[in-house]
Amino acid sequence: MLRALAKSVLLLIFSVVICCILYPLGLWVIGQAAFPFQANGSILKGPDGNVVGSRLIAQPFTKDEYFQPRPSSPSYDASASASSSLASSNYALRDRVARALGPIVKYKSGTKAGQPVAPDVEAWFQKDTFHGNPYIVAQWADLHNSLAQAWVNADPKNGAYVDDWAKVHPAIVAQWIKDNPATPKPKAADLAIVFFKEFSNANPGRFPSGVTRTGADGKPQTVIEPVKEGADIQSIFFEMWRQDHPDADLQDVPGDLVTASASGLDPHITLQNAEFQLDRVAAKWATDLKRDPTAVRTEIEQIIRKDASAPWEGLIGEKFVNVLEVNLELCKRYGMPP
Amino acid sequence: MFVQTWLLPAALLVTATIVAFPLSRYLAWIMNGKYRSLPVLGWFEKSLDSGPQDWKQYTGSLLIFNTVLFIFGYLVLALQPVMPLNPDGKGMLFPSTIFNSVISFMTNTNLQHYAGDVHLSNFSQIFFCIANMFISASVGFCALVAIIRAFRGDSSLGNYFVDMWRVLVYMFVPAALLFGFIFVWQGSPMTLKSSYQVTTLEPTAMGTTDKGEVKRQTIVVGPVAALESIKMLGTNGGGFFGMNSAHPFENPTGLSNFFNTLAMMVFPFALVFMYGRMLGRMRHSYVIFAVMLTLMAGTVIWSVCYDTLRPNPGLTAHPVARTYIIPNAKAPGGKQAVRLPAVAGLPLDQHLGNLEGKELRFGTSAGATFDALTTDVTCGAVNAEEDSLNPLAALSPMTGMWLNCIFGGKGVGMINMLLYVIIGIFIAGQMVGRTPEYLGRKIGAREVKLAVIALLVHPLLILMPTGLFSATSWGLKAVSNPGAHGFSQMLYQFSSASANNGSAFDGLGVTFGFVNNPNPSPTAIPWDIATGLVMLFSRYLPIIAPIAMAAFLGAKKASPAGLGTLRDDTATFGFLVLGTILIVGALLFLPVAVLGPIAEHLGPIPFGG
Repeated sequence: MLRALAKSVLLLIFSVVICCILYPLGLWVIGQAAFPFQANGSILKGPDGNVVGSRLIAQPFTKDEYFQPRPSSPSYDASASASSSLASSNYALRDRVARALGPIVKYKSGTKAGQPVAPDVEAWFQKDTFHGNPYIVAQWADLHNSLAQAWVNADPKNGAYVDDWAKVHPAIVAQWIKDNPATPKPKAADLAIVFFKEFSNANPGRFPSGVTRTGADGKPQTVIEPVKEGADIQSIFFEMWRQDHPDADLQDVPGDLVTASASGLDPHITLQNAEFQLDRVAAKWATDLKRDPTAVRTEIEQIIRKDASAPWEGLIGEKFVNVLEVNLELCKRYGMPP
Repeated sequence: MFVQTWLLPAALLVTATIVAFPLSRYLAWIMNGKYRSLPVLGWFEKSLDSGPQDWKQYTGSLLIFNTVLFIFGYLVLALQPVMPLNPDGKGMLFPSTIFNSVISFMTNTNLQHYAGDVHLSNFSQIFFCIANMFISASVGFCALVAIIRAFRGDSSLGNYFVDMWRVLVYMFVPAALLFGFIFVWQGSPMTLKSSYQVTTLEPTAMGTTDKGEVKRQTIVVGPVAALESIKMLGTNGGGFFGMNSAHPFENPTGLSNFFNTLAMMVFPFALVFMYGRMLGRMRHSYVIFAVMLTLMAGTVIWSVCYDTLRPNPGLTAHPVARTYIIPNAKAPGGKQAVRLPAVAGLPLDQHLGNLEGKELRFGTSAGATFDALTTDVTCGAVNAEEDSLNPLAALSPMTGMWLNCIFGGKGVGMINMLLYVIIGIFIAGQMVGRTPEYLGRKIGAREVKLAVIALLVHPLLILMPTGLFSATSWGLKAVSNPGAHGFSQMLYQFSSASANNGSAFDGLGVTFGFVNNPNPSPTAIPWDIATGLVMLFSRYLPIIAPIAMAAFLGAKKASPAGLGTLRDDTATFGFLVLGTILIVGALLFLPVAVLGPIAEHLGPIPFGG
């Protein structure tokens, strides 16, 4: 027993020395000597010589001049990789994808072929009828309670807006407390569904959304107001519009454009996705540089095709493009976007 | 498209099989002690040798060493705040999380109720994770070798400490260096730095802080390659980063993914042949290998068919309206009809299959393939999010954990397979009315009892806690997805713990985080403790009972094979074992499979709102 204990301690010491000191040290020396770029994190520098990130880690891009990476659950935080963990049966996944699709989807055929659906979504929303019944926003909150509550919690301003609303409507709040005796002091999120119901009746064809206004001090500030168009309407209500228009013939969007990767840091997009974004990127650069759009488009197309690679030369997968590399190349060629 | 889908899994299975032949020869040579070590290494080996051991001494040494390992691991994690290599000032994990993690790594499970990139310093990554990864993989390996020696009827089972030394020094360290080299070359960091702060190319896109300054991106690095190679080779599976082998630093390219996947397969494959070589019964091990390979190919084909070749059903059209009759005490007749309208599809090109939770650089079917293989060989690393697999595809990794003998982890999978072999022979013996024999020795009541105990520990430790947590708020508050998938999340967690696998449906709320975390998952503590205990029991009982069984069996007199002996090297025997595994597995786990993934597949999608 004691002998076994002594040998166990000895074995542990030997193992720790070999596995935790000698082995990592050996690999560290090999890595730093033979592959210093990789061993230090594949760090890339920008046109001005400053470090801009890692070739292997996705970073966010919002400007139209840039290709955009796949959606990221941890918001491109490379110190906390995470996936969405949304099951395919979870409505939250469908909702997230539909919101991303709304502003970018185009018609495929018919008289409006090639035009975006977003204006039609707004026009349909303003008519305020879903499946033949009035009040879209009230129906939305009723069908998707968790989304309505998520809206309240998404931004402190949204919560404050509901709190202000609750003060003006004590009767509705009192009724809610009567229906839910377990929650005598409801928070803003608890009231989300009754709030949207009343809001929808009072503001048909409108949705509460952030609008930038000049405040009393002359600085721009965001306030919540009922709006009838804009990004929120196009994204949040695209899914309901789609259910009301199941036969509308729409262009398919590349799958990886709207699905989140496992790590949330996937540095690549498919070549198909890059080509889908090419029109937007090229048009924006052409405007910025005041150059012929066709020529710019050809140049940028060459950039993405040159960067594109495929696992095992395409034997086991399709071509993809490194977003940061391509955007760096754009900056090197055309300068930083304004 | 056909080639792009199937070449990778086929290449993996073929390569691992080819490598297994020479590797098994080497392993048998080492474990039989035929080598002549260098003088320096020989001195270490001699100083560890405590003499020949019988089965009680051998398992006793194994348990004592693991106790020492537990204390060491707990100290390293608990002392993280005061240890070196911690420039970011990572604090101490919550005690129940340390308890869980220490057991998890000691038992080769690597279920992680923390995220490496968020919660561990480089010191802990090296002295806790890497140390346990080498050591725990060797423990299972030694147990198998002891069983083989017992079956052979050797006078002693060898010496536990010498066996550990051999496995570590002559197998894992050289193999880890080789694969580590490949991973650094492909892009895994290998540095003692912990993180970079960078201003991204479009600085404002990261958002701004409360003070109006541009947020910078924090890129965590570290000795990733060193951890990565032993993580896969030792079928440990605990990632340096939260998202494991899906993280671009752990798995930078399509080629690194191939070697990542191959690394977890080579030792489990080779062990089957090593078993045959050490017993002098190669044909018998070919039969076992064929059974395992058949099951493995089945799980891979299943998950690729349902995940890579099908779109994500949450985003497609469901053109037929459906009505579900559900029980409702308040409704007339106790039943209520729920009508779900037809669903229009989203305009999405899903020809690459379900891309939610997949990385692009590995190849089309790489995620589905990896997810099936990682539970077959009880590795538990993932290169795609299992929670987001298509419902039926998730059945494949679960099956790997439930059967727990499709190659399995280091040694332990082969041991589980031997239990099925004993049970299969016993059943066959009952059918023809002869005393069952294995390796020429008669299987008695005591051996069968020990085999059944070892075999039943696993389902009991999955089904009982899953039932408990499904019935209480511990489980219901932890699940992050509605309906049947929520049940799958709990089921998966306990399956993973009991199979000593370590993969997870990541949405489950099991992370407490640092001891001073103001906002932990409310259910983290019961999950830490319950899965910790499950891992502990499901590791050591199925090692001790089979060693005892093998020792009793080996002590009996071997009789030459006669006309009536059930030969263990024929196709008939292969089908007997395959049938035993499938029937026993289905009897144990079909009910929960129906409640979880199958119900999710059949039920309304999308579900809830």
